[in-house]
Formats: sequence, structure tokens, C-alpha cells
Amino acid sequence: VRFGSYRGRLVLVFVGLFTVIQALSFVVVSAWVRVLARQEIEEELRLAGSLFIRQLELRTEQLVTATRLLSGDFALKTTVATTDHRTTWSVLENHRRRIGADVLMMVGLDGTVVADTLHPDRHGAVFPLRRLLDEAEDQHEASDLVALDGGLYRLAVATVLAPIPIGWLGAGFVIDDRTAGDLRDVTGLHVSFLRRDAGGVAVAASTLSAPDRTALSRDVPAARAAGLIALGGEPHVVRAERVSDDVLVVLQRPLAEALAPYERLRRTLLAVAAVGVVLAFVGASMLARRVSRPVLALAEAARRVARGDFAAGVAIPQRDELGELGATFNEMVSGLRERDRVRSELERAGRLKRFFSPQVAEALSSGDESILASRRREITVVFCDLRGFTAFAETADPEEVMGLLRDYHATVGPVVFAHEGTLERFTGDGLMVFFNDPIPCADHAVRAVRMAIAMRDAVGRLLAAWRARGHALGVGTGIAMGYATVGRIGFEGRFDYAAIGRVTNLSARLCQEAEDGQILISQRVHAEVAGLVDAVPLGAFTLKGFGTAVAVFNVLGLQASAPPAAVPPGAASKEAT
Amino acid sequence: MIRRLVRPLCAVVPLAVAAAAVMAAAATPGTTDAVVTDDGRRPVAEAVVSLTPLDRPAPAGQPGPAVIEQRDQQFDPYVLPVYVGTPVQFPNRDDIRHHVYSFSPAKTFELPLYVGTPPAPVVFDQPGVVALGCNIHDWMVAYVYVLATPYFATTGADGRARFADLPPGRYQAQVWHPRMRGAAERTTTLITVAPGEASEVAFVVALRPPRYAPKDPPQYERQQGG
Repeated sequence: VRFGSYRGRLVLVFVGLFTVIQALSFVVVSAWVRVLARQEIEEELRLAGSLFIRQLELRTEQLVTATRLLSGDFALKTTVATTDHRTTWSVLENHRRRIGADVLMMVGLDGTVVADTLHPDRHGAVFPLRRLLDEAEDQHEASDLVALDGGLYRLAVATVLAPIPIGWLGAGFVIDDRTAGDLRDVTGLHVSFLRRDAGGVAVAASTLSAPDRTALSRDVPAARAAGLIALGGEPHVVRAERVSDDVLVVLQRPLAEALAPYERLRRTLLAVAAVGVVLAFVGASMLARRVSRPVLALAEAARRVARGDFAAGVAIPQRDELGELGATFNEMVSGLRERDRVRSELERAGRLKRFFSPQVAEALSSGDESILASRRREITVVFCDLRGFTAFAETADPEEVMGLLRDYHATVGPVVFAHEGTLERFTGDGLMVFFNDPIPCADHAVRAVRMAIAMRDAVGRLLAAWRARGHALGVGTGIAMGYATVGRIGFEGRFDYAAIGRVTNLSARLCQEAEDGQILISQRVHAEVAGLVDAVPLGAFTLKGFGTAVAVFNVLGLQASAPPAAVPPGAASKEAT
Repeated sequence: MIRRLVRPLCAVVPLAVAAAAVMAAAATPGTTDAVVTDDGRRPVAEAVVSLTPLDRPAPAGQPGPAVIEQRDQQFDPYVLPVYVGTPVQFPNRDDIRHHVYSFSPAKTFELPLYVGTPPAPVVFDQPGVVALGCNIHDWMVAYVYVLATPYFATTGADGRARFADLPPGRYQAQVWHPRMRGAAERTTTLITVAPGEASEVAFVVALRPPRYAPKDPPQYERQQGG
């Protein structure tokens, strides 16, 4: 697709517009998704935090319940009452195994440790978490996350009642990396337990790697405020929950992991947008082709028309503005073609008319060549030639001869055409005209006679001037009527339109017989025009080629009562052009 | 309830009569009323007030037989003050077994699961508080308060206990209650009983909440509150 072309620009505009829309919607949706994602992540983390706390509480409750159950054990009470601390230790160890605790200890009413499963020999030391004892005294039991022996423990304390308090039973589960790992399995988050110590905070247990732990303990105050922390160079979302006075639980999740579903959504959006652009491109191309094809076709047709090819048309089947344009164009071309056809026909007819009679010329130029087929028809033939021309041609200058002929032809030609005669040929000083072919007319004899009279008069006026110059010139005319074979004669490459028959010979002979100014007609002709002209019988002539004598009449002129020649007005005006 | 209040008095009265017989020639006996309230000025029932004569050795009491029943899965009475050396029977009136025990230093004993009345009573031969429990019913609690003086009485619902026919003289008065914070010795008050006169001694004690309430059976609550 060239972008300079109409089609290219169309595609460019479509695809560009679509791309801009897609890009805008992508940007908007993307930004919106990002905002939602942050909210969703925070909410997720908050829920995870709640879940985590609940998990911790559940575990603590379980521990408290177990501790309470153990504290009610009569054997334990009995043993404690004996104050035999070795036996007490042994019972504690036994019971510790029952509940799978990490440590079990018995504290006396004086707040000193009676027995401690972690330290069989520790006896009489002050229990460090007096507040738990006090709380257990009031509430029967207490629990907390506490630092014990350098580790972090979830410790439950229950008062041993017999039925009055005789001591406290403490049960503890260590919180180590495995605990953190278990909680990670539940919450899907990185879990770290941070314990406040003298220098700040220390990671007591975590699912993180060692360097991340260092980073976490260093950055946790800032991270709590920001909700983000960089661990291993990757940003993590962070939520901290205080689970006891000294213990902070920090939950982390890689931001990328949290954003992954949204990233997928973003990629999907992008893919959809890309596919959309491609589809738009394909669609726009097809549309552009559809739109531009008729335009191109029109342009091509217009070029052909400009070259003069009026056969050029366009086929635009669409029922829209372009279809209308195509139809209009076709109409225009068809108009042009018609005008051109008419013009070329006229030109051709004009050319033909120099050689043929207007009737034949027109028939030929209109492509009707049936006129050329030979046929037999009754016609009236007029021969006419100049008397004394041979002598004139011998004595006069050739220029004078040519001038006379030019004048003579110019005089007779219009007369022939005016009477719609078919000028068969000029033969120097002679000419042959026949009627009733190719244009049929009922009064061909009358027309022939009228023409002969008109011609005699016109040539007579022309010859008067020549005679005045001393040249003995005259005009003779012969007219006969009968059947002849009319049509094309000749051979391929040179054809003539001719009438052949006895009637042609007869009229030629009559012409030879005619004196200057005489119009000799055969008896048949005379019979046709008797009521119209004044004619005198000259008797029977014996003519060369004719066995019997022929009755000949000389036409003097039209009778005074004769109506004017019914010459079609178009004939004269056509000739005038 | 009345019965429970009357019984300690019954124990006191014969003692007082005996003392009066001894000291009849010396003086007319006096009367002392003890009033025990908590720090909210509410009367405290089932507190044991005891008087120890200062002017002469405490006379020997009569360690008469005493009883703590188990009825409706409760001990009855809740508090039993006895003169040292008193044998106490623990008849089980329920149709289930009980397992009475004490790990108190004053008297450690155990009556493993039994029905009816054990053949031998338990003799409380050392002064002090003996907390009794039932191994299989955590909420069953009772106290035997073993005293070395014959002058003692348990307060009623009005928080009062009366000592009649006391030989005149000076006494150390103490109060003890199972839920009392601090030792009984810290409540010691010096009183003087004048011949033929009535006097009154008041104690204000701080009580901790009942250990087993509100998880305990309601009947226990009634006894505690009543």
C-alpha cells in the first residue's frame, strides 16, 4: 500500500484512528488496572494478615487447650504435690511427648521453676515471665509469643488446680523457620517473625534468605510506613502485624508476583489491541480497495476516453454514490460515443458524397451495404452531354477547357441533387443520372424530365456566355425508361455503382441524337409525362443497337399549368452545405 | 443454708458453756458480733471468724464428728471449720462415684473412687486450710479449716457471726475466706470482751472472683452467692 495513494491514505487514516483509540483505551485501562491492582494487593495482604493472625490464634488456642488438659491431669497434680522435682521433670517430659510440645515446665506458687524439660537440672530459678503467671492466676490460663532461651516460643501457661492453685504448667512451641514455612504454605506469603531486642529488631524466624533477613531487620520501620521493601533487589509488598508486645510478624510478597495476574491482563489487552489493529488494517485495506477500485476504474476509463476510446465504460455494481457516479460516467461516455459516431458518420458521409450521390453516400455511411447488391428495377436514365465540346477542346486552351468543365459540373451537380437523381458518372462533358434507385420514387420519369429541363435551362445560361466568346457549344439530353440491373459492379478493390440494361443504351443513343437544346425522350417516357410537358413527336428513329425504330419525342418545356417540381426542401439545403 | 450456719454454732455453744463453767466464778461472759464485708461493703457469707484468747491458753475443744457430704456433684458444706483433731466423714449421696483428695500440707489424703460412706473418717489433725477436690469433677471444691481454738463461727448471708458466752478478756480475732486475698493472719484484730457486755468486730476483706465461675454448674453459683 503506497501512502501517497488514495487507498493508502484511506488505510492510514482508518488504521491510525483505530490505533489511537486502541492506544488510548489501553493506556486508560492499564492505568485503571494498576490502581485496582494496588488496592487489590493491599486488600489481599490485609486478608492474608488476618488469616495469618487467625492461624496463629488457632494454634495458640490449641496449645492453650492442650496445656489446660495437661494441667488437669491428676497424676501430674499428685506428682507436683510430692515436690519431688526429678519425678516432676519426668512427668513433664512424658506429657510433653503427649502433646508434641517443644518445652513443658512447671512453676511453683513462689514463681520459681520446679522443672523444665529443656533443662533437667534447672530447678529453683525464677520464672522470667511473671506477668503470664499473674494472668493465668486470674484467667486460669494465659499465652503469648515470648523470647525464651534465645528462641521465640509460643507459650501457654495454665494454673494447676488441686483444686486450689498449686503451681503453673507452661507449654511452649518454638517458632522457627519451619513454623514460618508452615504459615507460608497457608498464606502463600513470606513470613518473618521479628523480635525486639536491645539493639532494635532481630529476625527470629523467617522464610527469607539470610541477606533478606538482614535487609528486613534493617529496613522494617521504613517498610512498614511505605508498604514496600526491596529484598534481593526486588520490591516486595509488606504488611506488619504486631502479635505481642515484643514480636512483630512481617508478611511479604514479591510485587511482581502480586502483579502477575494484572500483568497477564495487560498483556492480553495489548494482544487484543494488536489483533484489533491488524484486523483494522486488513478491514481498512479491503474497504479501501472496495472504495478505490471503482475510483481507479473510473480513472482508467477516463484515461481511455481521453485517448479517444469511447468503448471505455466502468462496471460499478454498488448502489451508492460511486455506483451513481459510474452510471453517470457511463452515460457520459455513451453520449460522447454517440456524438463521435454521429460526427464520424457525418464526416464519412461528407467524404462519400464527393463520389456518390447523397442517397448512396448516406446508405453507405450508415453501413447499409445492401444497396450495393445487384437487383433489377425499372428506372429512368438521363444522359446529357455538351455538343461541340470535342471541337472546343481541340481549339481552346486546356485551362479554358478545365474552367468550362468546372463551371458545367458546378451547374449540373446541384440540379441532379436537387431532383434526387442518382449521378452515375461524369464522363468529361457527359453525365449519366438515373432515378428510382437506390431511392425509390413513383414518378421517376417525371422527375427525370423535370431535371432535364432544369439542367438544359441552367446549362443553356452557362453556355450563352461561352457562345458569346465564339465557341459553338450546346447541350443534348436523352431520356429512356425501362428495367436495368442496378448495383455494384467491378472487382474487389474497385467497384462502381452502375445500371446496366437496354434502357441505358437507349437513353445514351437518344442523347447522341439530340440537337443542342433538345431533350429526346422515348415513347414510354413520353407516356408518363404527356400531361405535364409540351413534347413534339420527331418520328421513329433508327438507332444503333436497336433493331426496330424507336419513337422519339422532343420535350420543349413544362406546360404552363404544370405544378412546380415537388423537390424535398432538405435536398437543396443539404447540397448547400 | 440455715442448717449449715447452725452447725458451727452448735459446735461453739457447748464449748462456750464449758468455758463458762470453768470461769463462772471469775466473771460473767460477754458477747461479740463479727461483721465481715468485702471492699464493696457487701456482706460476705461463709467467712470463718476465729478468736484466740491472749490472756490464757486456748482451752481444748471437743473434736466432735463432722460431715461433708457430696450431693448433686457438690460438696456440702462448702466451708467446714473444725477443731483440730476432728474426724470428718465424706458420705457420697450421689449415685455416681467421687474421688475426694487433698494435696494441702495440713492434710493430704485421697479417697479413691467410692460410693456410700468410707468406713473410716478422715481426721484433720493439723491446723490450716485443707482444700478438697474431686478428681473427676473439677468444679467440686470444699474447704476444711482446721483451727487450734474452740472459738470460731461461720458468717451467714448477712455477713455476721455471733460469739455468745465468751469469757471476758483479750482475743485475737481473725477472718478467713476461701477467696480471700492475702493470709488470714493479716486480718488479725485485737478485741476485748467485757463481762456481760456485747461488742462488735468488723472485717473488710478483698475477695478474688470465684475460680470456677462462670464455667461451673449453676447450683454451685447458687451456693456461692447464697
